Amino acid sequence: MTDLVARATRRHLLRHPWQLVLTLLGVSLGVAVTVALDLAIQSSREAFRVSGETITGRATHQVLAGPAGLPDGLAARLRIEGGLRDVAPVVEGWGVHPDQPERPLRILGVDPFSEAPFRPWLGGGPTGEVDGARLVTEAGAVFLSEGTALSLGVAAGDPLPLRIGGTQPTLRVAGVLEPTDALARQGLRDLLVVDLSEAQDLLGSPGRVDRLDLRIPERISASPEAEAALLALIESLLPGDARLVPAGTREETMGEMVRAFDLNLTALSLLGLLFGVFLIYNTMTFSVVQRRRLFGTLRALGATRRRILAGVLGEAMALGVAGAVLGVGLGIVLGRGLVRLVTRTINDLYFVVSVEGLALPPDVLIRGALLGIGATLLASLPPAWEATTVSAREAMARSTVESRVREMVPKAALLGALMVAAGAGLLLLTSRSLGAAFGGLFAVLTGMALIVPAATVLLLAAVRPVLARVAGVLGAMAARGVVTSLSRTAPALASLVIAVSVVVGLGIMIQSFRGSVVRWLDVTLQADLYISPPGVVANRPEGRLPVALAASAAELPGVAGVSTYLGTELVTESYGVTRFVALGLDPRGERSLDLMEGGDAEGQVFQRFRAGDGVFVSEPFAFRHGVGVGDPVVLPASDPASREAGGGTLPVLAIFRDYGSEAGTVMIARPAWDVLLGDAADDRVTSLGLFLDPGVADDPEAVARIEAGLRGAAGAPLEIRSNRELRALTLEVFDRTFEVTRVLRLLAFVVAFIAVLSALMALELERSRELGVLRATGMTPGQTWGLVTAQTGIMGVVSGLFALPVGVALAAVMIHVVNRRSFGWSLDMEVGLALPLQAVALAVTGAVLAGIYPSWKMSRTPPSAALRGE
Amino acid sequence: MMLHTGMRKARAGRATPGLVTVLGAVVVAVLLVWGAVRMAAPPERSEVRATLSAAEALAGGDTEGFARALEPRAFVFPDDHGPHPDYRTEWWYLTGHLDAVDGRSFGFQLTFFRNALSPTPPERASAWSTNQLWMGHFAITDVESGRHVHEERFARGAVGLAGATADPFRVWIEGWELDGERPGDAFPFRLRAAMASGEALELEVAEGKPPVLQGDAGLSQKGPEPGNASYYLSWTRMPLRGTVTMDGEPVAVTGEGWMDREWSTSALGEVHRGWDWFSLQLDDGRELMFFELRRADGARDPLNHGALVAVDGTVRHLGGDQVEIEVLDRWRSPLDGTEYPSGWRLRIPEEEIDLTLTPRVRDQEMNVTFRYWEGALAVEGTAAGAPVGGRGYAELTGYAATENRPPS
Repeated sequence: MTDLVARATRRHLLRHPWQLVLTLLGVSLGVAVTVALDLAIQSSREAFRVSGETITGRATHQVLAGPAGLPDGLAARLRIEGGLRDVAPVVEGWGVHPDQPERPLRILGVDPFSEAPFRPWLGGGPTGEVDGARLVTEAGAVFLSEGTALSLGVAAGDPLPLRIGGTQPTLRVAGVLEPTDALARQGLRDLLVVDLSEAQDLLGSPGRVDRLDLRIPERISASPEAEAALLALIESLLPGDARLVPAGTREETMGEMVRAFDLNLTALSLLGLLFGVFLIYNTMTFSVVQRRRLFGTLRALGATRRRILAGVLGEAMALGVAGAVLGVGLGIVLGRGLVRLVTRTINDLYFVVSVEGLALPPDVLIRGALLGIGATLLASLPPAWEATTVSAREAMARSTVESRVREMVPKAALLGALMVAAGAGLLLLTSRSLGAAFGGLFAVLTGMALIVPAATVLLLAAVRPVLARVAGVLGAMAARGVVTSLSRTAPALASLVIAVSVVVGLGIMIQSFRGSVVRWLDVTLQADLYISPPGVVANRPEGRLPVALAASAAELPGVAGVSTYLGTELVTESYGVTRFVALGLDPRGERSLDLMEGGDAEGQVFQRFRAGDGVFVSEPFAFRHGVGVGDPVVLPASDPASREAGGGTLPVLAIFRDYGSEAGTVMIARPAWDVLLGDAADDRVTSLGLFLDPGVADDPEAVARIEAGLRGAAGAPLEIRSNRELRALTLEVFDRTFEVTRVLRLLAFVVAFIAVLSALMALELERSRELGVLRATGMTPGQTWGLVTAQTGIMGVVSGLFALPVGVALAAVMIHVVNRRSFGWSLDMEVGLALPLQAVALAVTGAVLAGIYPSWKMSRTPPSAALRGE
Repeated sequence: MMLHTGMRKARAGRATPGLVTVLGAVVVAVLLVWGAVRMAAPPERSEVRATLSAAEALAGGDTEGFARALEPRAFVFPDDHGPHPDYRTEWWYLTGHLDAVDGRSFGFQLTFFRNALSPTPPERASAWSTNQLWMGHFAITDVESGRHVHEERFARGAVGLAGATADPFRVWIEGWELDGERPGDAFPFRLRAAMASGEALELEVAEGKPPVLQGDAGLSQKGPEPGNASYYLSWTRMPLRGTVTMDGEPVAVTGEGWMDREWSTSALGEVHRGWDWFSLQLDDGRELMFFELRRADGARDPLNHGALVAVDGTVRHLGGDQVEIEVLDRWRSPLDGTEYPSGWRLRIPEEEIDLTLTPRVRDQEMNVTFRYWEGALAVEGTAAGAPVGGRGYAELTGYAATENRPPS
């Protein structure tokens, strides 16, 4: 008996290979998307962590620099006056190989003779792995890992050309580090180790150390009092704006920033799995419903319910396992592509991280596989349960299922409505939790899906008379067919709605985001020319220009005014990673600040800003730190006198719109900034904005003359961009950062399409007997074709229609709740027409395509053969 | 029906599962086991393999471009108290014996090694740019308890981390320093040094006897080739007073010290394994320096030499054949069993000197990058028939087979 059940199950699957393939596809695609994203996120996170650890080494604490860096002599001071032996100074920066400008290389400047306690691989004293003597004494000497050397095409002894800021130095590979394991390889990837003095020269930062790594000896850290005393002593020796923090704080703070981004991606990947679950549910339901008669027969022959349930679940299990394994494999392949996109986005938005290869943490793979298997089992539980709980006689009759399903439709709708309400409540009642936002989002989405069948019944009841009038009996039949076979059509409809709405929702979200950015750029980019030193990472200028260049620029003919910017990214105690911009604002540039709060018509706020009465903060900064107009902001103040006088705190004058930095930006008038920093103030700028006389910007020759004048005055390479070019560049970066989302949207689309295709195709194939009867009673093959197409078409249109509001709601939640909570940006929602129409077209096309094969098959099968199937 | 199901339960439980289920279970099991193995495997230690030996940083290698000790020179002070950066290596090598009021007795060594890593500094604008690497060795021997503590430091000669100046006289590696108190002269100077583990020394160092020019008027030949020599001066009996800190509490001490100043570009020849060097302060007011270059072929090196300093400071130079040394005892390092001589009979027949040298503590091995033994000695014996005592220091290099990794 048991063999019979198992055999029957197996034979059924083998006789319906299409169904088998589609189920497997559903499971594996769902798993693949989750696994791929999970892997991409984990790999980038892991790469960041490992490179952070490799760089941090065994430090217990770090002294982080303020805006002016740490003085050269601080290391000696901590060793001599602080009595701390293990102190390693570090200078860090970025450069690129001219042939691979897309790939930032991290320049790590160290004192090899301080390194032994921290980074043993860098060598300490004369016995380290890196020949410290050569690093110290040979100008241009650089060490890099084997893998990095290989990919840059250099070997020991070769010259290594670089581009750093505006300079193009050529280093010489003094030696190649051979990491013996993957971890070290990852940690050393794209790392150029040079002597500290070389780094200062290369990066143009003489007298400036970025960081000191410290190691508190264990015999001191063993006693909390002794450690506290030593830390206090160290603190007392630091310049005012330097910070003493436990090692890893910086990496942690930076890692923190990416968390929201990661969570967004994870949520999107779960959406992928959600389609998968729908798809599985769909096919499993279908394959069980198909076999109701068979199960009835088996039951009548004496098979227990339990045995049949086990048989169905065993089948689901087998499918789930096979699909999960396939999915994990596919996910790894997909992940390789995604990791590049994820990494590039992180590089554009947050910090530079380079991933050696896709990490394959077993827990991610197992989690993905279990998720797939679990989802399959869960999705097949209801149909399996249903098939086994009815009596053997009932099981034979199809009508009982349908009447049951129809009874369930209002209940499901009610449950759906409750879920939507709960989800909405979750979204409205919480204000900051991102988890709650996604929870609410999923609840709303699932709730909507549950309402779909009821809405379909109502909608089709309303449309049927119209269809009957337009297309006669066949039209009415097509519409009725959808309703009468709800057990099959409902899951297909629901999954179609979800899939299309996600496609719509993501589309609207991206479009709105881009629109907001475009409007913001139009307001912000008021100057005609932007000048900066050539940078390594697209939107983060690293180099500096002499401030005198601003004065020279102002004197060039055709130049009406100059704004100066000095941007400094700091990890501060109060606000984590924050960008401080010291602004020398030309009055013409006032309009470039899109003040959301605190602005006034007369522009008095700008007078107060110039006078140093307060600061402007960006919207993400205000949101993140709960700061409003009038609230105090703590600023880095190195100058002791200025700190004493309370100069380290200024009120917020206004909040400006800024999509440029997610970390948050604080703008302060340049003179006020210089006062805060006192002697430590940087007398340079990161960029200039030039306002030209009317008409000059349109005169290419005049612009060329100005550019030539600037280059002459700077005596160093400059990046000069018109506002049009800068706008295009920024949008390019924006589009790049949304590439991952776009790819996910595409994946959602593919999964959705396959889901719909498989559901509808299976549905129509299953109706072969019904169609056989119709053919036998005189329906022509053309009419069969028409009926099938009409029916799938109706479902396409219906789901497309329902998907619109759901998609818009989804977009609204993502824009106003998820995005705000993740990044602190407010965006204007743009629905437009194109996207919704596209979505409906997508649904209809999918549905119609799904009808082709069954109609083709039906129209070719003689009615007698279709009927003989019984 | 329910009853029926219940009765069948047992049988259903034993039922042979379908083929697919079995396969599925196997796949899951394999997946789980693989995962468990991967996760249970110990975390990989991050290692980067050595590609370059770095012993060259301090010894051997190319001498081209450096100044060489070719002929005797006139020493000019205070200039020659300061560094001679054109020569590759240079040291300020202080040893001494200290006595506390309570009767405790200490030996100490504090050495500042300067090393030019290249003949000229690299062309860089940064203040960190230098070609000078400094190495410091500091050791204290507590004779009573038999404790020998030591520490090694490295620092580059830049941004105040380490360096030397002639006038005002100052030699320092981080917090270890010799700090002249008077302009125009090195003496007297203060010696300050503290180990990370807390042991410390703070001494006032006076000149005592004038410097002894070792070898040929200060040119000490170490190898047969011209230039394989060093400029070598010794201050053989410097009055010391100050404090020693061994267990947290500073103890007032007085004593006598010895300072060797030596600079060179290449000293030992190819044939040498190492050297045994002795500095003795006899209680009849005389001092003796003697070193023996140990050759790989076991023969006595003709370049061995020494000096006997009379009470009035006059120097008698001694050739290798005028001094006889016999090893009386040996000691094995607990680190790796390296054997060092540990106890000698030293005779100078022409002077009727016959001395027994005994380490005051057996284990005074310096477990530093280049391992050696440097320790305080007790001296007993006879001079011209009369009993004589004294103290000394011995340095025994080239015994330990390999260079060390710096402790980290």
